[in-house]
Amino acid sequence: MSDFVTLDHLTLTYGKTVAVSDLSLGIAKGELIALLGPSGCGKTTTMRAIAGLLTPKSGTITIDGRDVTRLAPAKREVGLVFQSYALFPHLSVYDNVAFGLRLRGEPHLDTKVRAGLTTVGLGDFPNRQPSDLSGGQQQRVALARSLVMEPKVLLLDEPLSNLDARLRLEMRMELQRVQRETGITMVFVTHDQTEAMALADRIVLMRNGAIEQIGTPEQIYAAPKTAFAADFVGFETILPAGDGIGGLAWRPSAVVLGRGPHTGTIRGVSFAGERREYVLDTPLGLVKVDTPVAEPLRRIGQSVQFDLPEERAVRVDAFT
Amino acid sequence: MNKLAIWSILGVTLTFLIGPFLIIVAAALSAGDSLAFPPQGLSLKWFVKVFEVDSFRASFGVSMFLAVFGTLTALFLGIPASYGLARYKVPGAEAILLIVSSPIIVPGIIVGLALLRYLVIPTGVGIGLALFLAHTALVLPYAVRVVSASMENLRVDMEEAALLLGCTRLTAFIRIVLPNIRGGVLAAFILGFVTSFNQVPVSLFLSGPGLRTLPIDMIAYMEINYDPSVAALSALSAALSIAIIFAAEKFLGFSRYV
Repeated sequence: MSDFVTLDHLTLTYGKTVAVSDLSLGIAKGELIALLGPSGCGKTTTMRAIAGLLTPKSGTITIDGRDVTRLAPAKREVGLVFQSYALFPHLSVYDNVAFGLRLRGEPHLDTKVRAGLTTVGLGDFPNRQPSDLSGGQQQRVALARSLVMEPKVLLLDEPLSNLDARLRLEMRMELQRVQRETGITMVFVTHDQTEAMALADRIVLMRNGAIEQIGTPEQIYAAPKTAFAADFVGFETILPAGDGIGGLAWRPSAVVLGRGPHTGTIRGVSFAGERREYVLDTPLGLVKVDTPVAEPLRRIGQSVQFDLPEERAVRVDAFT
Repeated sequence: MNKLAIWSILGVTLTFLIGPFLIIVAAALSAGDSLAFPPQGLSLKWFVKVFEVDSFRASFGVSMFLAVFGTLTALFLGIPASYGLARYKVPGAEAILLIVSSPIIVPGIIVGLALLRYLVIPTGVGIGLALFLAHTALVLPYAVRVVSASMENLRVDMEEAALLLGCTRLTAFIRIVLPNIRGGVLAAFILGFVTSFNQVPVSLFLSGPGLRTLPIDMIAYMEINYDPSVAALSALSAALSIAIIFAAEKFLGFSRYV
């Protein structure tokens, strides 16, 4: 296997709590991977293990052909952009970015630091203190601080979650640009499926310390394998299949409203721009539907017929 | 409560807090030969006298030495202790904090007597060393508490970031943790210095002929010479403490840490 980063049968624990059990994953050079899952699924723990901030209970981690499982974080050539950014408050922007290069005794320090700051669009702010910067700017400093070290792998912990909608889009493009220009292997952790879809080449969906599904965003979006995966990528209605094996999952847009064999009562309506979202209370449980706004508005309490067409459903394996 | 009552309470409180200090200063400015209030005439001669008494000069040196080096030693022990208590799940952390704080809780007179009876007498340790150890122990609780308070706001991920950028645990502590708690460390130093410098009960048992701290020397002096030079010395050392606290408040926002 020509994987650049390999996690082989990794088990990670905090004391007696097992956070990740027997996880194996290969990441290709230059790939942008998202570790996606709800809180407590082990995604951050896995990332910390790659960084060397947590020693695995068992299993190995290989980066570029070198076993780094027991290696100190500093010797792994891995960068990490923390969710809190973790800038050094007593140092200027310039000194934050120069920190690692100085420790290394970098001969072209000034050139590299200035280039790093320019890359993230902060070339004009070398003398500011971190506390004088906005959240988005602080994150760029953190990104530059990691990038100037030219790590083999760059890890990012929830890189977009602390930013507002506009900055989020900006940062997303920024990360994709950096990745394209440097060809660096990136692994980022997120709980937000839209973030993962928008950024990643491949998504690793995690649940309870294990991998639920791996695939491209298209694969996971169109063909979730399990009920959990389906639920996570927006299949709101999941029912046991007629044959008793596995289940069927529908997106709100796949449910037909106004005709069909089932009846339900409207419990909630919300307007979402081009579509209107309904929550139906039915004998099958809660069903989410959305319709184009052009269709007539249905009121809360109204009884409506609906259909769950099998040809518009996705078949999932494990039904929970 | 009405305004009059509030102002009365404030007035009484201030009188009791500041009054004695004003009386001492006034007594020190006396031109007479005995310690008295109100002063008999005005003169600075007793302030001059303070600097001419040999024993005062010697004991001032002892007190300064104990305050500076005792506090530095306490910080040298207390900073790593605070760091350990803040960062690691130390078993029995509560008990450790209690033990570290015990010199504040246990009356000084008992500490002094205990040190004399069970350290100096049986082991034959010099009283100089005993004084130094006692002052270090007395200041340690302040060092741990004040430094711990400033350590609380320091996030672990800053150190982790440093580890990833090439630091070891030790260099991360020196380059990242220390610069960010320096305000707390300075505050602890000042508090420790003032506490040690003004300490009486413990030093009382561990002073002897030839080795006395300044407050003990003042008591000894007063037993023989009842003149206003003691008042002058008191005023000077109070002024020293006040000056240090004011400077600390101005430059560090000292009250944030205490």
